[in-house]
Amino acid sequence: METPITDYDEEIKNCSCSYCGNNCDDITYLLKNKQIVGVRHACRIGASKIINDQDQRLLNPMIRNEEGILEETSWDEALDLTAKLLYNSTRPVLYGWGETSVEAIKKGIKVAELTGSVIDNQSTICHGSTIQAFQNVGHPVMTLGEVKNRADVIIYVGTNPMDDHPRHLSRYTTFPEGFFRKNGREDRTIITLDPKFTNTAKVSDKWIQFNMNEDYLLFNALRILLKGQKIESDEIAGVPITELEELINIMKNAEYGALFFGLGVSQTLAKQKNVDVLIQLIEDLNRYSKWSMLPMRGFFNVSGFNIALTSETGYPYGVDFARGYPRFMVGETTTIDLLNRREPDFFMAISADPGVQFPGYSIQHLTQIPTIQIDTHWGPYTELSDIVLPSTRVGVETEGTAYRMDSIPLFMKKVIDKPENCHSDEWILNELYQRLEMLKSKEEK
Amino acid sequence: MEYLLKNGIVFDPKNNIDGEQMDIFIKDGKIVENVSSDAKVLDVSGKLVMPGGVDLHSHIAGPKLSIGRLYRPEDIRRGIKPASQEDISGFEAGFSLPTCPTIGYRYTKMGYTTVTEAAVPPLEAKHAHEEINSIPNLDIPTLTLFGNNWFMLKYVKENRLDDLTYFISKWLKLAKGYGIKIVNPCGSEAWGWGKNVDGLDDPEPHWNVTGREVITALTKVNERLGLPHSVHVHTNDLGHPGNYTTTLETFDCIKDIKKNKNVERNQTMHCTHVQFHSYKGTSWRDVSSGATELIDYINKHNHLTCDIGQITFDETTTMTADAPMEYDLFRLTGLKWANKDIEVETSSGLIPSIYSKHAPVSVLQWAVGLEFFMGVTDPWKIALTTDSPNGGPFIRYPKIISWLMSQEKLQDMLNNEVHNWAVNRTNLGTYDREYTWNEIATITRASPAKILGLNDRGHLGMGAKADVSVYDIDVENFDPTLKNNSAILENKLLNSKYTIKDGEILVKDAKIVKLVKSNHIWCKVNGLEKEEEILTNRIKPEFNKYYTIKYENYGVNEHYIKPETCVDIEYGGVICENN
Amino acid sequence: MVVLFVKTINLKMIKSSSIALEFDNVLPELLYDKSLEDVKNTIIFHGNKKEAVSDYFDVNITGKSDIPDDCEIIIDGDLSRVKRIGYCMSSGKIVANGDVDFHVGACMSGGTIIVNGNAESYAGREMTGGVLRIKGNVKEFCGSSYAGDWRGMSGGKIIVEGNAGKQLAEYMVGGEIIVKGNCDILAGVHMAGGLISIDGTINQWVGGQMKKGTIIVNGKLEEMLPTFTLQEIVHNPLICGKYYIGKYELYSGDNGVKGVGSLWLKK
Repeated sequence: METPITDYDEEIKNCSCSYCGNNCDDITYLLKNKQIVGVRHACRIGASKIINDQDQRLLNPMIRNEEGILEETSWDEALDLTAKLLYNSTRPVLYGWGETSVEAIKKGIKVAELTGSVIDNQSTICHGSTIQAFQNVGHPVMTLGEVKNRADVIIYVGTNPMDDHPRHLSRYTTFPEGFFRKNGREDRTIITLDPKFTNTAKVSDKWIQFNMNEDYLLFNALRILLKGQKIESDEIAGVPITELEELINIMKNAEYGALFFGLGVSQTLAKQKNVDVLIQLIEDLNRYSKWSMLPMRGFFNVSGFNIALTSETGYPYGVDFARGYPRFMVGETTTIDLLNRREPDFFMAISADPGVQFPGYSIQHLTQIPTIQIDTHWGPYTELSDIVLPSTRVGVETEGTAYRMDSIPLFMKKVIDKPENCHSDEWILNELYQRLEMLKSKEEK
Repeated sequence: MEYLLKNGIVFDPKNNIDGEQMDIFIKDGKIVENVSSDAKVLDVSGKLVMPGGVDLHSHIAGPKLSIGRLYRPEDIRRGIKPASQEDISGFEAGFSLPTCPTIGYRYTKMGYTTVTEAAVPPLEAKHAHEEINSIPNLDIPTLTLFGNNWFMLKYVKENRLDDLTYFISKWLKLAKGYGIKIVNPCGSEAWGWGKNVDGLDDPEPHWNVTGREVITALTKVNERLGLPHSVHVHTNDLGHPGNYTTTLETFDCIKDIKKNKNVERNQTMHCTHVQFHSYKGTSWRDVSSGATELIDYINKHNHLTCDIGQITFDETTTMTADAPMEYDLFRLTGLKWANKDIEVETSSGLIPSIYSKHAPVSVLQWAVGLEFFMGVTDPWKIALTTDSPNGGPFIRYPKIISWLMSQEKLQDMLNNEVHNWAVNRTNLGTYDREYTWNEIATITRASPAKILGLNDRGHLGMGAKADVSVYDIDVENFDPTLKNNSAILENKLLNSKYTIKDGEILVKDAKIVKLVKSNHIWCKVNGLEKEEEILTNRIKPEFNKYYTIKYENYGVNEHYIKPETCVDIEYGGVICENN
Repeated sequence: MVVLFVKTINLKMIKSSSIALEFDNVLPELLYDKSLEDVKNTIIFHGNKKEAVSDYFDVNITGKSDIPDDCEIIIDGDLSRVKRIGYCMSSGKIVANGDVDFHVGACMSGGTIIVNGNAESYAGREMTGGVLRIKGNVKEFCGSSYAGDWRGMSGGKIIVEGNAGKQLAEYMVGGEIIVKGNCDILAGVHMAGGLISIDGTINQWVGGQMKKGTIIVNGKLEEMLPTFTLQEIVHNPLICGKYYIGKYELYSGDNGVKGVGSLWLKK
């Protein structure tokens, strides 16, 4: 049992957690001598991220020397070189953005436009297919408070929030008292649909196991059953028809139903079509009851990137500025596909670690081209990077805006001072932008 | 910087200037009596000069737009235009859902300087203000959604008008809002359970409060506070055949509430996109226009104003906080449906909409809108809108003007272009009115500014904001009543010769020459701080229980509203009758 | 039928690049009356740079033409990084001798494109007319719509002699697609018109969420969606003006979207 922290001299309340898409904004930081020594209310992942924040920090700009070793350098030198490499590249990619502020993202969009880059975020490997489905058939969503206040039936499909978004059930959906659900958990039915018996399945009232990669079939069958039509086989996707009938009855008779889904739906065989037919199921359910859905977004500002990019360019991710105006085409202007086609000749990752997130074949290409890292911590991508620009933590050392998974905007506070020689992503990108503008005006002269 | 706009033909209805050739003097961002010899002279001899355009109801910033853009990339692609080499503006993207910069470019080029964002839920107000920061060149007031807010419903239910007054005053500060917006009162809350309310007197199932109670309570509060704008109402039953009776009842339900004596506007209620609320019949098969009765009411009463929500025959996107109506539309058309319910406050919905000249219902809606333009005799009671992008995108305003100014054009459309429901099911064919430039200046400038209570604009009187638009139209020699001139007229109004805002030239010869940050206009009531604090302390525990973000993180802070125009209102105590 | 092309523009690739070239300016309608010099200087896009055709291709011209229909462009070389060949083309003919990159024939409204090789994704996307013949395989989204649009290919004809990738003819509303080889999952998904005919084996979920239109599977279907219902069995059916020899089962669906599409399966 851990002992409570008592040795602190300052409490800062109502901070936003900068870890997952839950963006819990009730976090208290405990400070001593202007350093964070403890965290209250955060889940174990969020807390450990804050407490261990100073570990493995990138503290100074670095450039890889001829021997292949990263060498500390001045900001000017690192920024000048970055600007030069970016300016002279033909197919640059600016990737990441999931863990920085909207303010920094907007600067990044300007850099992308000026340099004819592709700008893309983690959607390209996560919920991009979800967004494609939204684009095809619709987008019936809600804020999490609707679920807390109204929901009597909650379904999690292909997602395991108990491990990945630990406070999702306790703060937003299942356990808390809601306006119309005074008894919290007792007033709700929780159902998990997953091929695996996850920790979320464990706390659910019902776990329905289905065959991997047969989501499309499963949701199609549910739609048919909802319409009262018969299905001739005894089971679909490994689930007995009787069980599906029971499920659809619960859904149909819900007063307010909410469905959350994760990469287990959006990244299995039929990809966006799984989500596509799931959306149509939700649409159909609204004839009988009230249903909404929401993808479980990963990082604390992936949603903010999609919003900022649509505000500025019209498209949510994978925007290609090669021709000066935005273009968006999944498979053509998205990061992994570009890397696999060996197109990029410059790659900059901002608050993201492609070394962890990308498949090996894509990473191989990163070793062949100039790679820049703008981030707070040492990670596998640092080992691949030619230039490292150390930045600051949004919501801890830098203020800024982030959007929760349900698109509620939150202003994230600055709580402590940044390490001396680090700068915010926004500052770094702004410096870069100015240098690029200078290079451009020189060329035009 | 000083400017002398020389020899233009000026239309300034508020100051009774009806096409006089005269000079306009500009100094320090204001209209003045004279300027020094250093003033830069802009020769606009014979050209059409009007105050900067004012749009009192448009959807340009906030979550609905974001959802729209995210789920309609095909609309974005339709509006792609690479950056021009001769212009300082960047690329454009989006047709009915333009990107933030595109919105600014298109409005300024049309000569508009003030545009109201008509529906912002306080919970996501930061989002709206953040987007406003990406829209250049406009002054933007935002209207805050209150018509389905739980605290409001509670105070109305318990008849606590004082608490409601403090609540509204405080919440406008939190949302940095300009005025009170009511959308399908009680209906959007009922949508939380997949239901709607039917008319003004159908109570919301849980709260047992009716639309009538909400509208009257908020109108009383609005007049108590003396807000510059009246309540801005999207009445119940939008888009349903037979809804004109609800609209008529709504018009009438607040007529006895006294207007605050400190405000300049005439109305106590503004009913928005009235076109969508003016249908007779029981279904889309037997639907017909209910405009005549509503026009008659408007002509006989002075307590209300309206804007039209004109249909323009485009493939556009409808978006509204009236989410149950959007689901009805989805059931009707099967096109992709978006919905977003926002805790404690409202719901909202979107769906693409294709208005076709060959589709009887589209044509009926188009004609109903025009009936209002033709039938309402006093142009100060109406404003030109398309409820952009609901009836059509705002770039169609010039096209609408070309219809209003030419009976020849309109008759040609009725006879040769549109489905016969326009003639058979509405009274549009019975009008022969043609708008004058003065009337156009009224419904696009003077009237909307007055309705909004933004008295420093919409006219060119001394001390007014130097927001001026000049169009490359030789007023003397150009005949807008000719059908053959319609396309030319539209093009000239889309591309101003000059757009001047706060005394700065933003557009010159149809090219954007300057980009400035948009101004956030919001309303601050002074004098209720103590009462607001007591109320806030009382509701904070409830707030933190039913919202999913903390009260402390709820408001829009200074970070989001630079530059701002804060309209200070001194609270004068209870100065309206409480009936 | 023999068509004589009066002007032939021959482009022979002399330099390849891993970064794709964009070829949307290289169309018969834009080049039919251009001189050799003009063709050489025609802008192609290379990543974020603008370059000239002659930077990557040897250009030869024979003959003269007064109308685009009389102009043929023949492109030789490794074209697997050449995007947008025949993009928005309305007349004339393009022959690509090699594998081609994204968007070949996308948005085309007329003329003929022949690809003597494989094609990347989005071939014939939103095509409204003309003929696109691909001798090899095509990847995903052939004959589909642009993201978000519910109106995909609406006219013209695509012939794929090899195999087709996922989501063939997604949101197709008209026209005809013939695949001589096999087909990956979700062919004809969201289809609302037009005709697809597949000779080879087709993976799962053909016709998912289809509203209208006709799909003919002359080969084998791996897995049928439960949302289709068997209507009848027909010998040598006449479908859209053509006889198909053999025993065919006719299914209708997709019932999930109240669809009235026809799905013909050869037994």
